[in-house]
Amino acid sequence: MEHSDCIVIEGSNMAECHPVAFRWPMKAKVERGAKIIHVDPRFTRTSAMADIYAPVRAGTDIAFLGGLINYVINSERWNSDPFFREYVVNYTNAATIINADYRDAEDLDGVFSGLMEYTGNKKDWPFDAFLGQYETATWQYARPEDRSPSPLAPHAPFIDVIRSLRRTPPQRDETLRHPRTVFQLVRHHFKRYTPEMVERVTGCPRDTFIEVAEAILQNSGRDRTTAWTYAVGWTQHTYGPQMIGCCALLQLLLGNIGRPGGGIMALRGHASIQGSTDVPTLYHSIHGYMPAPSALKRHGTLRDYLATEGSATGYWANMPKFLVSYLKSMYGAAATAANDFGYDWHPKVSGDHSHLPMFVAMAEGHVKGMLCIGQNPATSLNASLERKGLRNLEWLVVKDNFITETAAFWYRAPEVEGGDVKPEDIQTEVFFFPSAQVAETEGSFTNTQRLLQWHFQAATPPGDCRSDPWFTHQLALRLKRLYADSDLPRDQGFKNLVWDFDPVEGHAIPGEPDAEKVLKEINGYRTEDPSRHLTGFGELADDGSTTCASWIYCGVFPAPDRNLAKRKEPDPPGGPGAHLNWGWAWPANRRVMYNRASADPDGRPWSERKRWVWWDGAKWTGYDSPDFPPAKPPSARGDPDGIGLDAHSGRSPFIMKPDGVGWLFNPTGLLDGPLPTHYEPAESPIHNPLYGRQTSPVLKYWRRDDNALVDVGDERFPYVITTYRLTEHYLAGAMSRWNPWLAQLMPELFIELSPELAAEKGIRNTDWVRISTPRGAIRAKALVTRRLRPFVISGRTVHQVGMPWHWGWQGVVTGDVVNELTALVGDPNVSIHEGKAFVCNVERA
Amino acid sequence: MPEAMGFYTDTTVCIGCKACEVACKAWNQLPATNGGVLEMSGDSYDNTQRLDGINWRHVKFIEQFPDDRVAGRWLMMSDVCKHCVRAPCLEVCPTGAIIRTEFDTVVIQSDACNGCRLCIAACPFGVIDINPASNTAQKCTLCYDRLKAGLEPACAQACPTDSIQFGPIGELKERARRRVEQLRALGEPRARLYGADEAILGGLNSFYLLVDEPGVYGLPRNPQLPTRNLRASSALSVAVALVMGLVGLVTLRARRANKRAEVHDA
Amino acid sequence: MPDTFYTASPHWGWYIVAYFFVGGIAGGCFFIASLLHLCGRPEDRPVVRLGYYVAFAGAVVSGVLLTLDLTKPLRFWHMLIASNTGVPLLKPWSPMSVGAWGLLLFGAHATLAAGGALAEDGRIRWRPLAGMVSGAPGMIVAALGSAFGFFLAGYTGVLLSVTSRPVWADSNLLGALFLCSAASTGAATLVLLTRRRHDAHPATIAWLSQFDRTALVLELIVLTLFVASLGTVGRVFLGWWGAVLLGGVVGAGAILPLVLESRRSHDQRTPVRAATLVLAGGLFLRMAVIFGSEQVRAVGSGVALP
Ligand SMILES: Nc1nc2c(c(=O)[nH]1)N[C@H]1C(S)=C(S)[C@@H](COP(=O)(O)OP(=O)(O)OC[C@H]3O[C@@H](n4cnc5c(=O)[nH]c(N)nc54)[C@H](O)[C@@H]3O)O[C@H]1N2
Ligand SMILES: Nc1nc2c(c(=O)[nH]1)N[C@H]1C(S)=C(S)[C@@H](COP(=O)(O)OP(=O)(O)OC[C@H]3O[C@@H](n4cnc5c(=O)[nH]c(N)nc54)[C@H](O)[C@@H]3O)O[C@H]1N2
Ligand code: SF4
Ligand code: SF4
Ligand code: SF4
Ligand code: SF4
Ligand code: SF4
Ligand SMILES: [Mo]
Repeated sequence: MEHSDCIVIEGSNMAECHPVAFRWPMKAKVERGAKIIHVDPRFTRTSAMADIYAPVRAGTDIAFLGGLINYVINSERWNSDPFFREYVVNYTNAATIINADYRDAEDLDGVFSGLMEYTGNKKDWPFDAFLGQYETATWQYARPEDRSPSPLAPHAPFIDVIRSLRRTPPQRDETLRHPRTVFQLVRHHFKRYTPEMVERVTGCPRDTFIEVAEAILQNSGRDRTTAWTYAVGWTQHTYGPQMIGCCALLQLLLGNIGRPGGGIMALRGHASIQGSTDVPTLYHSIHGYMPAPSALKRHGTLRDYLATEGSATGYWANMPKFLVSYLKSMYGAAATAANDFGYDWHPKVSGDHSHLPMFVAMAEGHVKGMLCIGQNPATSLNASLERKGLRNLEWLVVKDNFITETAAFWYRAPEVEGGDVKPEDIQTEVFFFPSAQVAETEGSFTNTQRLLQWHFQAATPPGDCRSDPWFTHQLALRLKRLYADSDLPRDQGFKNLVWDFDPVEGHAIPGEPDAEKVLKEINGYRTEDPSRHLTGFGELADDGSTTCASWIYCGVFPAPDRNLAKRKEPDPPGGPGAHLNWGWAWPANRRVMYNRASADPDGRPWSERKRWVWWDGAKWTGYDSPDFPPAKPPSARGDPDGIGLDAHSGRSPFIMKPDGVGWLFNPTGLLDGPLPTHYEPAESPIHNPLYGRQTSPVLKYWRRDDNALVDVGDERFPYVITTYRLTEHYLAGAMSRWNPWLAQLMPELFIELSPELAAEKGIRNTDWVRISTPRGAIRAKALVTRRLRPFVISGRTVHQVGMPWHWGWQGVVTGDVVNELTALVGDPNVSIHEGKAFVCNVERA
Repeated sequence: MPEAMGFYTDTTVCIGCKACEVACKAWNQLPATNGGVLEMSGDSYDNTQRLDGINWRHVKFIEQFPDDRVAGRWLMMSDVCKHCVRAPCLEVCPTGAIIRTEFDTVVIQSDACNGCRLCIAACPFGVIDINPASNTAQKCTLCYDRLKAGLEPACAQACPTDSIQFGPIGELKERARRRVEQLRALGEPRARLYGADEAILGGLNSFYLLVDEPGVYGLPRNPQLPTRNLRASSALSVAVALVMGLVGLVTLRARRANKRAEVHDA
Repeated sequence: MPDTFYTASPHWGWYIVAYFFVGGIAGGCFFIASLLHLCGRPEDRPVVRLGYYVAFAGAVVSGVLLTLDLTKPLRFWHMLIASNTGVPLLKPWSPMSVGAWGLLLFGAHATLAAGGALAEDGRIRWRPLAGMVSGAPGMIVAALGSAFGFFLAGYTGVLLSVTSRPVWADSNLLGALFLCSAASTGAATLVLLTRRRHDAHPATIAWLSQFDRTALVLELIVLTLFVASLGTVGRVFLGWWGAVLLGGVVGAGAILPLVLESRRSHDQRTPVRAATLVLAGGLFLRMAVIFGSEQVRAVGSGVALP
């Protein structure tokens, strides 16, 4: 970001929620006069730092970004400066031709070809909650007489499985004129997203929108780059991933991907939340972003899995190596070629086991017990429903630093204080484990830019507080003992699981595992000699000779005495500032991904100013570690029969993609459409101004009486509400509302509303107000401020209000739980909730 | 004596995160007001409201939005003791509790202060107040203890955007002037420095870059030394005293006179 | 906003009000007493002694009040002696510092004078002590003492002006104003007390009342100039304390007694009434000036006005 000429912060309140990272935008602003743009429903502390503030109604970013896309591809600059076309034609799938039977949302009034009933499993896990689903065949690339996969021998080598997936290269038209080229489809898809339409949908004044469009155009090209940054202002929608995809589309069109000062920065949340998706605590993926083996997909055998998830071209062709090395790390010696490296022992997903459905299942009595480690669900979405879930557990373990709302739900929750529920009627047995803090244990953090940094133990935990590693380690050891002499097939996995994290020469805290041992296991080593660490994922093999838990982290611990996450040498000032000796970034200590795109097709830097990685005639070199085969010249042609990267030409920067280019159009990967389309949030006061289709046709909705939704235009709930964070507090508040120094900075729960709405409702500043939805009602103080404004949406006034959600009934300062208001609706791809845009009523309490 | 050290605060990059407030409280172990349990002020995001004996940093929030919301601004400024070169508080303190350090900063020695509270009334910026914990007047020490240990003040170190910059005053003033020119060039004619020259109390060793009138930030336009009133006030008092004396003498003389008159009449 | 509004209030309350009031009376009484002592006649002696007694008592009470107002009362001496070095500490430009010494020295003279008075009254059988109120030494004590008396009466106002607070720092006339008030309240006190001392000569009392009236007139003039000198800051008095200033100080405290006294029909309770009113006025004046300013305080980025 330090290198950006323009930074658009959209879907994040970066200054308030990432104050330390925000030093970089401020550096760019002060040192190189970069333009800062903030797009947000509220004027926040980030807007205060911005050169342009663009107000938008919550949930309308696809309309805004789509408008930018439409503006950009029709702009004089984009069509006159050859840079854009050169980048787009060579580095994206703009020229690729799509199947003839594909129908766009533009032609089907808001849905794509292939929409149908949800056919997934409804009986043994009736909590997936999809409204519908897409059959994606029509979205695929058009390929001349595509080969049909040749049948395979049952024990064929994995590489044959991969080879069997090879397809003929898709048809292309580099003039981009063919009506079914991705580029023409994009142009067609967004043609109605005009500045006027943007104003009608988002409420953002036309002139402001155009100011933003001009700013990003002027700051993109050979010599300048624009960066986008977002967080949960984008994700927490029933079409969150599509918002991000829409931004990717725009950034590709502007040639801002894979270049210094460009890109899309996802600002992650909790400390090391990035790490917890890399080394996943996610139910649906295993290490290194491989999908979790699933009972719902063709994953029956190891080969089925590879055939379903693998790809013949692009770097994913190496999946067998990643997966086998992962299985070796799971099951060690027990994993052999004969037993498919224990693949059958691996647990398989049987449905959507993410947060929301799990709590619905709990509420319906499908879950016996829960280990709640570092989470506070009693205050989470549709809180009263989640607490219903907690009440239906037989046992609950809370491991936390404080007696959180979750630990205290059975004697202090609103329904208990209100007398509707009696503690003696709650069956749940609650165990509380006092937890150590991060500073009281050592380990690694992986931050927003994929950077692993080691932190050392600064203090010993008080009393019998124990670290999370201690807890997990001890639990695993006990479970292994429990299953030690079971012969049940389903327990074989546990029996064969390799678990060796005890420190060699003891630990000050009895039972604490050795954090470096864990990182070594993740990094990987030669199976026959664990002291020979792997130095990079290039060394991985699919024959069991390598053991590696997570291929993307391979190389962080290249030798038993070299933990690169511990490095702390910054570059001297004035340099390009890649800081390659500070910590270690996955993959391969790469700071900018797909950085081959920072050079033109012939391998020359696009410009002196934006030099990053280039071809020096013999090899790829530069400030960063090149994201490309080191010796592959730009002139190299792709081998049509080649496997993996051999199939790619020397001008294909996006090595993870089967076709080596960035996708403007997504034939696969997304469940809700190949192109981003504006839908209204699950709850909205107005009808979708763009299409007949109101909401995403495939979103997830858990239909329950205690999870009712408001119909479009229901006058009882006329206001758009969004929820968010404050610098002064942290999430559900356990880490801030218990600290008097922080508590006093924001002592009370409040709702931000415009003077216009306040006047309408006779509400004065600091009055108590009542906020209600079909799910619940809460009280908060009114903060009447012009930082919020009424929007005019297709002709009528729509009031936007907002609430920080940090309060609860435990701690130094307390307040109502904002999530009493929210509903369980989810995005189809990742099941994230829609806490950012729903409707409510507000009145004087 | 080492060169004068102080703060240059660039309010245009202050994100109002209050890290400076918290860092100060943490380092100086200052209590939270009422154990942290307060009412929301309703004054934008400012719930600290003032500098006093337990709040040595105070981040101000100024919302400037016209009805139609075009070109609105939300100004933020982290207020603190200005460490005036000619410090009113130091000037009037009768116990000598307030001293000027080798870093040209102004520090209250809590153990010498007897709580007469004249400094509170003397400070033109409303910085000082009694800290109920010590029952003496207290304020920012510019982390005297840390400076002596060669450390940066806690607040400046915590500031994520370098809105608070600590260093030798000379350098800071240079940097600040360049920033003002940059802002003017970028079309912010209101950009100005406050306290960077001798005009205000001989200069403020904690000076500010503002983008509006000082009054907008709650800063006095032209603060003065309290002793500016000393001569005139004293002179006028003496004058009145003399008048009183005269009145007394004259009336007494007059009384004598009448007396004699009476005598003669008899 | 006037610059002085962006400041914090020192929380000076009743102790200070009382101190300023009592200090004023003490100073005023000593001055009057010494005046009668030096230029008066034998029949004035009882009132002279009375004045010295009051001055002494007032000095003691003042010291106590001033100390009680400190948040660290036991460190009162820090104002006179540097606590770390132990050497005497005087900052001539700091009214608080000078004031501390002034009070001390006034106290000393008042003690001598009061002691002398006691001896003269025959309550103490120690001849040399009487010398403090007679002859050359007596003259010196009287002269110096009344100078300190004036100082005590006036410095309190100067002290307020040598700050940055609204009202106080916005005018240079507070010292003068308090001085007038000291004179009038001093005289009024003596008038009241002579009711108890039957040896007080009517002529002296008559003079006291006359002196009091002159002081009041002077006070009214200075008060008017003071309010005028505040300019826009005067808005502070658009409220409760303004009412006190107008009704309590000007009306009840000055005009009314003047009217009473100047009335022909002169029953013997009139001077008492008048004197009482004058004292009340003096107290109201200190209250209006101190609390009127105290109510202004900088909050957020603005100012809290009443
Ligand atoms: N101080 C502090 N920092 C934190 C956290 C905290 O609790 N406190 N939490 C951490 C975590 S876990 C996370 S995930 C991150 C979240 O970081 P952010 O996403 O930055 O935090 P939020 O405040 O939830 O949302 C950001 C902004 O999105 C805006 N917004 C709401 N709806 C929309 C929309 O439809 N479009 C657009 N463009 N904007 C919208 C809101 O007005 C808000 O200003 O912060 C992390 N950092
Ligand atoms: N309406 C609405 N709801 C939201 C959001 C929103 O924007 N709007 N944001 C969502 C987002 S992005 C997130 S991330 C979630 C967060 O929701 P939660 O994760 O449920 O909330 P936290 O308060 O972060 O809970 C973390 C707990 O971990 C404890 N803790 C801290 N350190 C440790 C440790 O080392 N070990 C252990 N065992 N415990 C520790 C803390 O005390 C705290 O109680 O909330 C979601 N909910
Ligand atoms: S809270 Fe921690 S992670 Fe978040 S910005 Fe501050 S320092 Fe960084
Ligand atoms: S700002 Fe106030 S407290 Fe600080 S030095 Fe100046 S006068 Fe003293
Ligand atoms: S309160 Fe303390 S520091 Fe302030 S002037 Fe009085 S003695 Fe000095
Ligand atoms: S310099 Fe030290 S004392 Fe002063 S505000 Fe900063 S942290 Fe607090
Ligand atoms: S820490 Fe820096 S940015 Fe944050 S409020 Fe203080 S001065 Fe402003
Ligand atoms: Mo998060």
